[in-house]
Amino acid sequence: MRRKEFPVYRVAKHVTVKVLAGVLWSVPLGAEAPAVYAIRGARVVTGKGPILERATVIVRDGLIADVGAQAAIPADAWVIEAEGLSVYPGLMDALSSLGLPEGSPATQRRPEPPSSAEAERTEDVPVNSAWVRAADLLNPAERRIEAARNIGFTAAATFPMRGILCGQGAVIALAGDRPGEMVIHPSAGLYVTLTTRRGGGFPASLMGAIAYLRQVFLDADHYEQARTIYNRNPAGLKRPEYDRALEALLASPRVLLPASTAVEIARMLRLAAEIRRTPVLYGGHEAWRSAELLRESGVSVIVSLKWPERDRDADPDVEESLRVLEMREKAPATPATLAKAGVRFAFSSAGLTDRRDFVRAVRRALNAGLSEADALRALTLHPAEIYGLSDRLGTVEPGKIANLVVTSGDLFQEQTEIKHVFVDGRKYQPIAISREEGRP
Amino acid sequence: MKSATTCLSAWLALAAAALPQTVLIRGATVHTVSGPDIASGSVLIRDGKIAEVGVVVKAPKQARVLEAKGLHLYPGMIDSATDLGLAEITSVRETVDIREIGDFKPQLRTIIAVNSASEHIPVTRANGITSAVVLPEGGIISGQAAVIHLDGWTWEEMAARPSVAMVLQFPVIQQTPAERTGPSERRIPYAEAKKRYEARLRELDDWFERARRYQRARQAPASGLRPDLQLEAMLPVLERKLPVVIHAVREKAIREALAFAERQKIRIILAGARDADKLAAELKAKDVPVILPRVLELPLNEDDPYDRPFTLPAALHKAGVRFAFATYSSSFSRNLPYQAATAVAFGLPYQEALRGLTLYPAEIWGLNELGSVEPGKLANLILADGDLLEVRTQIKHVFVRGKEVDLNNKHTTLYEKYRNRP
Repeated sequence: MRRKEFPVYRVAKHVTVKVLAGVLWSVPLGAEAPAVYAIRGARVVTGKGPILERATVIVRDGLIADVGAQAAIPADAWVIEAEGLSVYPGLMDALSSLGLPEGSPATQRRPEPPSSAEAERTEDVPVNSAWVRAADLLNPAERRIEAARNIGFTAAATFPMRGILCGQGAVIALAGDRPGEMVIHPSAGLYVTLTTRRGGGFPASLMGAIAYLRQVFLDADHYEQARTIYNRNPAGLKRPEYDRALEALLASPRVLLPASTAVEIARMLRLAAEIRRTPVLYGGHEAWRSAELLRESGVSVIVSLKWPERDRDADPDVEESLRVLEMREKAPATPATLAKAGVRFAFSSAGLTDRRDFVRAVRRALNAGLSEADALRALTLHPAEIYGLSDRLGTVEPGKIANLVVTSGDLFQEQTEIKHVFVDGRKYQPIAISREEGRP
Repeated sequence: MKSATTCLSAWLALAAAALPQTVLIRGATVHTVSGPDIASGSVLIRDGKIAEVGVVVKAPKQARVLEAKGLHLYPGMIDSATDLGLAEITSVRETVDIREIGDFKPQLRTIIAVNSASEHIPVTRANGITSAVVLPEGGIISGQAAVIHLDGWTWEEMAARPSVAMVLQFPVIQQTPAERTGPSERRIPYAEAKKRYEARLRELDDWFERARRYQRARQAPASGLRPDLQLEAMLPVLERKLPVVIHAVREKAIREALAFAERQKIRIILAGARDADKLAAELKAKDVPVILPRVLELPLNEDDPYDRPFTLPAALHKAGVRFAFATYSSSFSRNLPYQAATAVAFGLPYQEALRGLTLYPAEIWGLNELGSVEPGKLANLILADGDLLEVRTQIKHVFVRGKEVDLNNKHTTLYEKYRNRP
């Protein structure tokens, strides 16, 4: 009986904090005011170089000030005795829609033209909303942010996901009071899908979607040329029309292309070469077949941690094809295969917000031969590198953003508890409501 | 000038065709199907029937003699499942009349819906198909199937059997709606689909139970029974006078359909049974005939051998299951012989393929007057310049009920039109 009371109390406390947060806007959820922290005597997995067995991490003004066995503890530091605890770099979700309100135009899967929020203008082509920017749509109170943080995620690349050219992603910190302070980089890349429009409307097929993509990028190149010529000498020239979608396309540092099967991977690599853009492939569940091709191309892959599973709603009498069964069986071997081949890959949490589910998903990759160090890199340094932010994210090194996870032990063990999560140098206490405890 | 001659000769042929004829076809290779071939034989047609078949048949007075040296005479082919006369242009809704609203409509007589002016009918018979089974679709009990001859001004004239079988679409668990009503393709959750399927199965049994009660009440003296046309239509089924065509594609549905037939003590014919090879022994034991699914088709499952649809007829033949070929189409009914030809290329004995187009469907559908070249049978005959199953073979003459029919059709008209383009 006593055990049952405990979670209720915890939930109640959580609710109070939330209510307070609603009243006092400036108090972050479950967070203590930013200060100087010294995490003393911890096992520090820096993510770069050897593991420091008994070291101290100094956090000041949102940054990592010092790491090491001899790090001096400042007088104003809030000392966290971390004997027996482990410090990891904060995890980063390489592909998500965190912070974008669920059900908002940006996160709906259906490729419909942007609704009233970004009213469609006559010159806009349907399924192209490249000008939509995740950084402009952020909602710090979006509930999945806290859930992701509770399992150790401190940063995420987040993208609008509606349409074919869905919009510009942002790399964000998974905590903050105002949208602006959450943004680590406002241009993570253009998120592309190959969804087709059923029941009429262009494009209705994969071929149509790819032809459409090609056309849009050709249009963008033409647009840029016209603009350059005009800007060089506007006199006597009709000015080219402004197009917000093409402007956004030109400004994007990279494109994220969907590619799960080997055929799709080869196809998207060809497309990327054709449109002359830096690609990042996402999906990657059959990339174990394409490791060589990927290594040669030098393209990075975002592997979804949502491993293919049998549809729970499927008719048990319907036989599944070998192709589907093989994909399900071998997908978790993708990370190990890519690591061995030297292909850079990162994980996307694919909406996993339960720590046990998350650990199990990672463990499936570990069981298929991935090393723990590579798994950690795929959740820290590699996503930072993919988005060009490894100078500020991804490892426990002085000068980097103080995104840290303090755990009771090995990060990829189910029984390990997450003690503290630091985002931008602010300490958060994970309010873990596991599935059993959450139930009355 | 040339086209004028063509027109004139066509008109003459038509005028001649309209009259009841006594025709002696002489010197053809006669493929009787029921017996051995006659290398140079003659067939006498009189009063719409085959009067004589033999090596030497004397021409009666005033008989038209058709010198058929070098030609092959076959019984006309029977397509055992079609939409002929029901569906003209499948993508134009107004021209498609293959289903009615409602789940149980045993009283529906498909024959009435057959459009005798359909362009597909002359096209089909020009390739040697002289009779066809027309099946309704939709709901659970779709209505009564009919057999038509492919010649006639009205459906009454075309009807060979206005009611040959009751058609039943066996319920299955379906997560995507079978009959698309709009652009939305919403998937139904499995649990809901299963519930729906179970309800439909129950309804089906209830329906038969109701019909049976009606049957008993009808036999009782002075019961004061109010006639019910729907249940009335079920009586021949319960009396085993009318077989039930059960459309069941996959193994589970076929198995359940067999159990259903046993339970309800009805005679059945399976149609569309793409998994029939998995249950061949059982089908043989219960002597359930199978209207073959289309042979020229992609495999049912992704991992099936590529040739499974091609080898299905051979597999059923080997197990001793009775079968007949069908196209399940109106515009492609003309390709019926090639379904059989592919089956031959994949293991079905040639004679069996030929019978599957002629004699076997006649037996399965109870059309004793059709299916072979024998005296007394209806003169549905075709003369071809080669092997019937060969794609390059041309059909030269077609007789339906003893009357030679015009082989001009939309295809030949368009062919002539564009060939003569200046």
